[in-house]
Amino acid sequence: MAARKRATEKEELQATDSGDEDGPEELSFRKAKEEAVEKRRLAVESAQREKALLKEKRRRREELFKEQKKRKLLPNTVLEEITSTACSRADEEHTTQEQDDVTESEARSSEDSEAEAVDARLQESYRAVQLKAWDQISLQEQAAKDFIQSCLYGPGSNRTTVNQFFSLANKKGTIKKPAMQFVDNTWGTEEKQKAKRFKLRRVHKQLTSF
Amino acid sequence: MGEFQVHRVRFFHLLPSGIRCMDYSGLSDRLALARLDGSVELYNLAANCFQEKVFPGNESRSTEAICWAAECRLFTAGLSGDILEYDLHNLCIKYSLNGFGGPIWSMAANRSGTHLAIGCEDGSVKLFQVLPEKIQYETSLDRQKGRILSLAWHPAASHIVTGSIDMIRVLDVKTGHAVRRIAVDRSKMGMQNRECVVWGVAFLSSGTLVSADSAGKVQFWDSEKGTLIQTHQVTNVDVLALSVSQNEDSLVVGTSEGTVFQFQLVPVRTGETARRWVRTKPFRHHTHDVRTVVHGPSTIISGGLDSQLVIRPLMEKVESKTYDAALRKFVFPHRRLVSCAQKAKLLLFQFPQYLELWRLGKTEAVGKHDEVLPISRSQEHLLQLKKKGPEHICCSAISPCGSWISYATPSRLYVHRLQYENGVSISKMPRLLYSAHQILFSADSTKLFVASDRVSVHMFKLSETGCKHVHTFQAKSGSAEATCLLAASADGNWLAAASLDLEINVYSVKLLKHHCTLPVYKCPVTALAIQPMSNNLIIAYSDQQLFEFSIQEKQYSTWCRKVQQHGLHRDWRERDTPITNITFNPSQPAHILLHDTYSLCIIDKTLPLPDDKTPLLNQAALRNLSEGARKAHSHAFKISKKFQPLLFMELLDEGTLVVVERPLTDIQAQLPPPVRQKKFGT
Repeated sequence: MAARKRATEKEELQATDSGDEDGPEELSFRKAKEEAVEKRRLAVESAQREKALLKEKRRRREELFKEQKKRKLLPNTVLEEITSTACSRADEEHTTQEQDDVTESEARSSEDSEAEAVDARLQESYRAVQLKAWDQISLQEQAAKDFIQSCLYGPGSNRTTVNQFFSLANKKGTIKKPAMQFVDNTWGTEEKQKAKRFKLRRVHKQLTSF
Repeated sequence: MGEFQVHRVRFFHLLPSGIRCMDYSGLSDRLALARLDGSVELYNLAANCFQEKVFPGNESRSTEAICWAAECRLFTAGLSGDILEYDLHNLCIKYSLNGFGGPIWSMAANRSGTHLAIGCEDGSVKLFQVLPEKIQYETSLDRQKGRILSLAWHPAASHIVTGSIDMIRVLDVKTGHAVRRIAVDRSKMGMQNRECVVWGVAFLSSGTLVSADSAGKVQFWDSEKGTLIQTHQVTNVDVLALSVSQNEDSLVVGTSEGTVFQFQLVPVRTGETARRWVRTKPFRHHTHDVRTVVHGPSTIISGGLDSQLVIRPLMEKVESKTYDAALRKFVFPHRRLVSCAQKAKLLLFQFPQYLELWRLGKTEAVGKHDEVLPISRSQEHLLQLKKKGPEHICCSAISPCGSWISYATPSRLYVHRLQYENGVSISKMPRLLYSAHQILFSADSTKLFVASDRVSVHMFKLSETGCKHVHTFQAKSGSAEATCLLAASADGNWLAAASLDLEINVYSVKLLKHHCTLPVYKCPVTALAIQPMSNNLIIAYSDQQLFEFSIQEKQYSTWCRKVQQHGLHRDWRERDTPITNITFNPSQPAHILLHDTYSLCIIDKTLPLPDDKTPLLNQAALRNLSEGARKAHSHAFKISKKFQPLLFMELLDEGTLVVVERPLTDIQAQLPPPVRQKKFGT
């Protein structure tokens, strides 16, 4: 009984196979492999093409942005002028050659690089400290110093800047004098530079708008 | 006056540190002053307020309290939690002792000077017994809540009053218990809930407590009952300092606005015995917070964050209106912080943390009197040399040829060799373990003299390979005080050394032996120099007297005797600042060039001395006279006040001077923010 049943099953199987007119193609192993490789190559190529397209698109967008920015930006000459005003004072101090104690500067540079290397690996809220330095500045002492600082200069201490204070004194004195930063050239250099930069920018803007 | 081309140097960016605390010792008439950078200075008020001794600062130290105890021994305490005693003879720290209570905020000695009390961060008051040579922990009073920011002894040493945040407490010294606890009112205009910090307390012998707090009030309390007697709303900002006079009839307070107020105990009505405290006088000499005040016997001394020391005599205590009744202000140190290499035209500036080396600018132009010449080459910053370790630099020098730099911290002496081939290269010499109070190079830059402890002077020989210790000059007196000033002769034969106990010794460098000792004068020496030709020693004292001593003859010179017989001009004697540098013009052997902070002077020994009737400052008047009249009217003191405030002056070569100025506005620009004050109409 079982043998008969198996035979009928076989027949049925054959019947379904022979249902598609042409018989199964003879596929040699080599051909199949080639086909598969071809298929994969095509897939890779198309993916690359897509990527390249995307890249191109991005590049074009970037260029557009740059151009837009450039259109908004001041011309090079004005920019140079602005940067030169900013640096002029710093230059004055640093054109003169400064030489530190050799070993000290070396030590510092190596320390800096180490700190940076650590920083790159850590999360933003984490900080690398040297245990040795931490030990020296006792926490209590630091808290005491912070207390003094907050008492004298904290909120509600009603402080002003030295410049404003002395300018007011000049104004209210029996001999009237202009504000401190006009009396003394060393005062308010930052503000003066800022004003100069602002003026240049404004002049340019007005010129272009006409 | 003689004509000079002057290098007017204004790039020495010295910034004096703010004053934190002071204490006055009536016994020695000296004022001890501690600055925010940890340095301590002693002013001798008897000797024209001369800054006699300076203890260099330290980065790891922040002083909060200073006091004298037990016959002129000086102690400081700070936020590092240590109590330090200073060696006043050799300008160093004798020892430090931890208080074991965290940062120390306040310290006071009882009236007899046998005990020190410290107020700590953890709320404890600890007592230390002052023994000869050391201090010993005795007991700790009951620990209270909150840091002890101020503290004062009862004159009978039975009770201590402490001030902390929102609270004043009275502690019994014997039992160690708190016997009274007074809550201080917080209210202040505008700021309802800001805590009230009691910055200063005082205990009067009548049992009255005085407190100064951050609400701007000076309050008087009854210590028995714990009740408020009187309140004075002095200001809207903090009252930071409080000091009571010795006889307890006057007190002064210093505020954040820079004002100092005096309170006096005066009768309510004339003829009655009942007396009350009345606010009498305000003094406005500071622009910034007054962190400390001291009520001297006849003066009010105040200091603050604007780094000015102001000594204000109380007019009712002064009998006659003389120079002693004048207001004194001190901003700059009374010693040299600049040294000059005359041959190489270099200047070395000494800052607490580093040294700066500059090359002077140059000019080719020639001009007339009072003309500003254009510079053909501007000044050049060659080198910044940072010190190592937390200790600050106490002295420095550059050799006349410019190829050696030496500086010292309290523990070590450093010598560096400089080479100027395309840039500056610096080579280190082995560190030397000598204490140094002043460093001097000989005129030919082959020897280094170091003023050291116990009236000794070390001599080093400099060569390409290094520096070698050759000899130690030791005075015969065997005194324990350190040598503080040095002068070497141009020919290299003589060395003069002044010590802190007013002794001046002259040594022969060639024979390596002691030559002579000068007669002792009552005041400290401020400057010392040996004239190149005659080898006469010129000495300037803090009471503005000038002496000339002939080293060869071992006696005062005839000119000196003439000056002493005639007496110096009154205006000269009443100058505020001491002479800090003396130099000579080799082409004019009769000239002495010297300066203090406000004037530059050339003394011509050939001219007659001025008397009190003729004006001392006559240069401007002389310029308008004819040649003949000029000769008749000129006198020995030729003074120029053009360069102010003057920190240094040196003759570079024939007809060229270098002066180093530090304008006050440059210092003010870098001060911490002051308190805003409302002015009408602004």
